[in-house]
Amino acid sequence: MIIGALLIPFLPHIIRQIYMLVLILISAYALTLGFGTHTKITLMDIEFILFQSDPLTLPFAIIFHVAAVLNVMYGAHVKHWNQHMAIMSYSGAAIAAVHAGDLLTLFVWWEATAITSVFLILAGKTKRAYGAAFRYLIFQIGSGMFLLAGAILLMSENGNAEFKNFDINSLYGQLIFIAFGIKAAFPLLNGWLQDSYPEASEIGTVALSSFTTKLAVFCFAKSFAGTEILILIGAIMTFYPMFFAIIENDLRRVLTYCLNSQLGFMIVAIGIGTELAINGAVAHAIVHILYKGLLFMGMGAVLYRTGTCKASELGGLFKYMPITAICTIIGAVSLSAFPLFSGFVSKTLILSSLGKEGLVFFYFMLLFSSAGVLIYSGIRVPFFAFFANKSNIESKEAPLNMIITMISASILCILIGVLPSYFYNFLPYQIHYQPYDFSHIVGQMQLLVFSALAFIFLWHFKIYPSEINSTILNSDWIFRKMIPGVCLPLLDLVNKLNQKLYKFLEYLFERTRNIFANTMIKNKVFDREVGQDTLIIVQLFIILLVFIFVWKIYL
Amino acid sequence: MRFLIEKFGKINISVLFLCIIFLILELIGHRHGETSLEDILFFPAIFGFLSCIIIFGIAISLRLLLMKDEDYYDE
Repeated sequence: MIIGALLIPFLPHIIRQIYMLVLILISAYALTLGFGTHTKITLMDIEFILFQSDPLTLPFAIIFHVAAVLNVMYGAHVKHWNQHMAIMSYSGAAIAAVHAGDLLTLFVWWEATAITSVFLILAGKTKRAYGAAFRYLIFQIGSGMFLLAGAILLMSENGNAEFKNFDINSLYGQLIFIAFGIKAAFPLLNGWLQDSYPEASEIGTVALSSFTTKLAVFCFAKSFAGTEILILIGAIMTFYPMFFAIIENDLRRVLTYCLNSQLGFMIVAIGIGTELAINGAVAHAIVHILYKGLLFMGMGAVLYRTGTCKASELGGLFKYMPITAICTIIGAVSLSAFPLFSGFVSKTLILSSLGKEGLVFFYFMLLFSSAGVLIYSGIRVPFFAFFANKSNIESKEAPLNMIITMISASILCILIGVLPSYFYNFLPYQIHYQPYDFSHIVGQMQLLVFSALAFIFLWHFKIYPSEINSTILNSDWIFRKMIPGVCLPLLDLVNKLNQKLYKFLEYLFERTRNIFANTMIKNKVFDREVGQDTLIIVQLFIILLVFIFVWKIYL
Repeated sequence: MRFLIEKFGKINISVLFLCIIFLILELIGHRHGETSLEDILFFPAIFGFLSCIIIFGIAISLRLLLMKDEDYYDE
């Protein structure tokens, strides 16, 4: 796909779209090859496993191909080639990364996803987008550096860098863990996600939401399944982005907080590490790509038509964009895990695995987030974009290609929700799990409708905070304000001190030279006036002697 | 009923209606949760409602701390 993407700039628009779909189809052929190692090369005595497949790679590879097709369809209205080329090579790099059998190959594709995707943020074409793209690249490349360091350490210890289960207690394990953690937007390392995704173009955000973070989830599932610390990290991840999402004004940024929170569910499940939990994590990653893509598509359509995604400026768009609104609602309902929609069949897997392991505290943390997701994203995003009657924006329905893509994604969301047993067949482990029983349905529905009731209660009695144009500080504040805020004055201080010290030394040097010269002349050491150069050389020589003397005595 | 719909709106009343239906359903069937705490009567309903109120409470107070001007980073 990446090599094929090189041809994209030279093709006319319609042929280019067909060509991209054919490329994905050719790539999808690799899915039929079966499990095992298929392509290896040896360079400089290092073996690179370029293509290997197992029960874990298959579901990710399938959904990445589906996401690539949806992205191509969604972006079909854009005539310029640059974003198409970026999307094609980005999806190709993500698919190749999933199939990497060793860490060095993974590193190459890891960086490739970063470099190809940054063009999608640059395509936002605003000053903020350029800044965000630069920061995004720093984080992604930085994550790659951790991965490379881990891989090299692993190679020096084991002789190979096979991509397998790693021990968190080893140094290489920790380095790799941090590399994956940056890409999975762990707490305090998540700033790049909320910073860059909402600044990308309308089609860029949809593509970005599909691959980068899910690739990190895949890597965790492959390398750190059952690592207990992940349960705690994941639970924190599900928890705290909710509060930011409620007060954030940019609806695409709200969705990135929500993305962060849902990643937490997957990370918790990987931390549990049982077959049921890993299935839950994979299932959640798959449905999340679909419904979050759908929500970003809806918001992308709104942005494309109205030029804004701010809750304070939108509202009442339902009468202009009914199909977009309905598709967004389907995405929101899936996200909130209503029965018969995709989120339900994956989230119950994760919650059940927590319950079965007896992790009661974390179970309630995740249940808390499940209740919260409905109001901060499930209701809030469609409500403020399409219903809250306050804007005078006039618009028209999204372009046809966007509508077709959104309807396709909606159908997939509903199909997965209605036919979970077929969906579960794609998961890494064979399980017999029935999400639709009386307890699950009634429990989940009570949770959700009463959350909705709470929203209505707050809205009706005007307790709900009004939407204000603002910037909500996130963990990127540490890198953008705090560190420069502390370091720049510190550097300034060091600089000033340095100058003062220099002046003092200069004065000292001058003074000793004068004293020295006077003594020499007075005691007639030299018969005539000696030049400055001679004095300096003698002085340096004496300083050197003193230095050696002190060195010998004290050290 | 008409008075209620006029006062609160169709959607709000239907949500309320759904709430009542799922409470009644719990009384009819036997619901059990993943943990024993969840088996308490109407637990998900109470938990869902309170969670949302708590989330709002925390979010609004965080707003005082974290909300800056829109051009905060551009300055």
